Amino acid sequence: MISEFSTIKGNSSKYLALLAGFGVLLALGAFSFLYVEINGHGATNMTNQVVWGLPHVFAISLLVMASGALNLASMATVFGAKQYKIFRRFSAFLAIALLAGGLAVLVLDLGRPDRMLLTMIHMNFKSMFTWNVFLYSGFVVLCFLYLWSMFQHERYVKLAGSAAFAGRVILTTGTGSIFGVIHAREVFHSAITGPTFVAVSITSGTAMCIMLLVATFHYTGRKLDKSLIHGLRNVLIFFTLLVFYLLVVEKFTKFYSPAFYDVESWILTGPYAPLYWIGVLGMGIALPLAILFNPGMGNSIKGIMWACGAAIIGEVSFVAHVLLAGQSYPFNMFPGWEMSSAFLDGQVAAYSPGILELMLGVGGIGIAGLIYLIGIRFFRLLPQKAEAPEGWKPWSP
Amino acid sequence: MNMDRRSVLGLGGVVAASAMIAPGIHLIAAPERTEASGQSRWAMLVDVNKCDSDCTACTTACRQENNVPTFDDPQRDIHWIRKVELKDKKGKRPSVSLPVLCNHCEHPPCVDVCPTEASFIRKDGIVLVDKHRCIGCRYCMIACPYKARSLVYHATELSENGNADVPIRGKGVVEKCTFCVHLVDQGKKPACVDACQKDGNGAMIFGDLNDGQSEISKRVHEIRTQTMRADLGLNPAVHYQGL
Repeated sequence: MISEFSTIKGNSSKYLALLAGFGVLLALGAFSFLYVEINGHGATNMTNQVVWGLPHVFAISLLVMASGALNLASMATVFGAKQYKIFRRFSAFLAIALLAGGLAVLVLDLGRPDRMLLTMIHMNFKSMFTWNVFLYSGFVVLCFLYLWSMFQHERYVKLAGSAAFAGRVILTTGTGSIFGVIHAREVFHSAITGPTFVAVSITSGTAMCIMLLVATFHYTGRKLDKSLIHGLRNVLIFFTLLVFYLLVVEKFTKFYSPAFYDVESWILTGPYAPLYWIGVLGMGIALPLAILFNPGMGNSIKGIMWACGAAIIGEVSFVAHVLLAGQSYPFNMFPGWEMSSAFLDGQVAAYSPGILELMLGVGGIGIAGLIYLIGIRFFRLLPQKAEAPEGWKPWSP
Repeated sequence: MNMDRRSVLGLGGVVAASAMIAPGIHLIAAPERTEASGQSRWAMLVDVNKCDSDCTACTTACRQENNVPTFDDPQRDIHWIRKVELKDKKGKRPSVSLPVLCNHCEHPPCVDVCPTEASFIRKDGIVLVDKHRCIGCRYCMIACPYKARSLVYHATELSENGNADVPIRGKGVVEKCTFCVHLVDQGKKPACVDACQKDGNGAMIFGDLNDGQSEISKRVHEIRTQTMRADLGLNPAVHYQGL
């Protein structure tokens, strides 16, 4: 049942404190950007071995999560889950907010961000980056169209929502393919990277939607039917299992070839192994599933929130692992030979993120958080109460 | 002017749409380019048997010729060409020393991934970076299998005894070996090859692979040579003899 949508009042001290908190994050990001812009990337801890560092982990995590955040709306519009129709506006707007935060970090970390316009003047359509310029901006257009149709022209919702759904699948495949198409790096190159990014986007996006819905409804005194969250919990379970399946298939395929023994053994036992075992598999897969399949915790909102938090940490770990392990593993230019040089050939790259990188990254979270908070204050994105249809009961552990 | 919220949403959509359409509009005309000859295919051959591990004539000459800076930071120092020591993993072959530089591939992955076409390949096969067009995204550094590119992490200046013929690159852009294109276009050899022949053991030769009479063409066709990561299908222009 759809109840009236309304803005939040936005005059409570908690709301203002949240605004201030995200504003501080934005200020930290702005400071970091200006400092690096003046002093060069030498002020960061990135190197000529690890050229994409912590800012890219934040940026790509936010972009991937943005695509997944739209899944909630797609469930209603594309897959006919009418009980989630009430969250379509929230979902589409959140996708824009997260995308804006991620894109800002990505652009502001460029060596020459002042030349960003060049990506719109000189385009190379063989580059996944060029495709992503179109995919990201196209995704925002589709989300705006989707919102516009939801607000004003319901008859176009199916069309706009379906286009946005297709757009987000292509977008996230494109993001994953930034790495997947790179033959030069053994950790990156895989056809399954794109689909894994899509699955990871849905776990993290769904987790973010659950956490924000529960928190927003709680703090604004709105009624949120628990069974709606239980339905989303089941989505989280399904896609977490899908991520696990894709990771297993990739490992199986690579370990089948002796050419990949060295690199795959390094991934599972090397310096980035804790990130893989604890972050990707532990926090991203095992912990959420253990919580969500537990009859007690899996049915409690508190338990689901913990699982969502773990899923988001898992997503960030996945992105960090792909990025950092992929760049740290030394190039194998002369098979059969051990390499050494003044350019650190043959060595696993050392990288520890710097404070400026962290500040730029959290700046992206600040942007996304502020857009969301301002959005729910000025646009009617959320229903006054969210109730599941009578008789609708999702599966429960 | 009062705007309702729907108008704000609509305006947001228009702005986003403009951002998407903008790439198709050429606002600034690209500078006219002079073209290299498509008749040539410049290449390098390194005889590793002649390359002495103590010799750094090529790397020193490169730094001098191209104003390649050092920052006393191994993680961020820029290397257009570097000496690499190779040790047989099974210990059956003697260790060797050789220079590694941009391979000026026929199918360069750095050019493929560059979003602004700052990395480009000339008709004669030399791969270059347009320092005015590079946005510093570093995707080319991710894609290059030879670790031949460096980001300029710090601002640099032309030193007193620097080479005024080669402009320095500003911080935030990516740079790499140009095969000393400014010399090649004058009919000269790259500085590293020149130094190797004058001050080293003559391990490096440079020339046009398409010229059947050139020494490099004859040797590459007559002697067993190999390129780095031939399995990637990039067809590099740097060949090694004696590996």
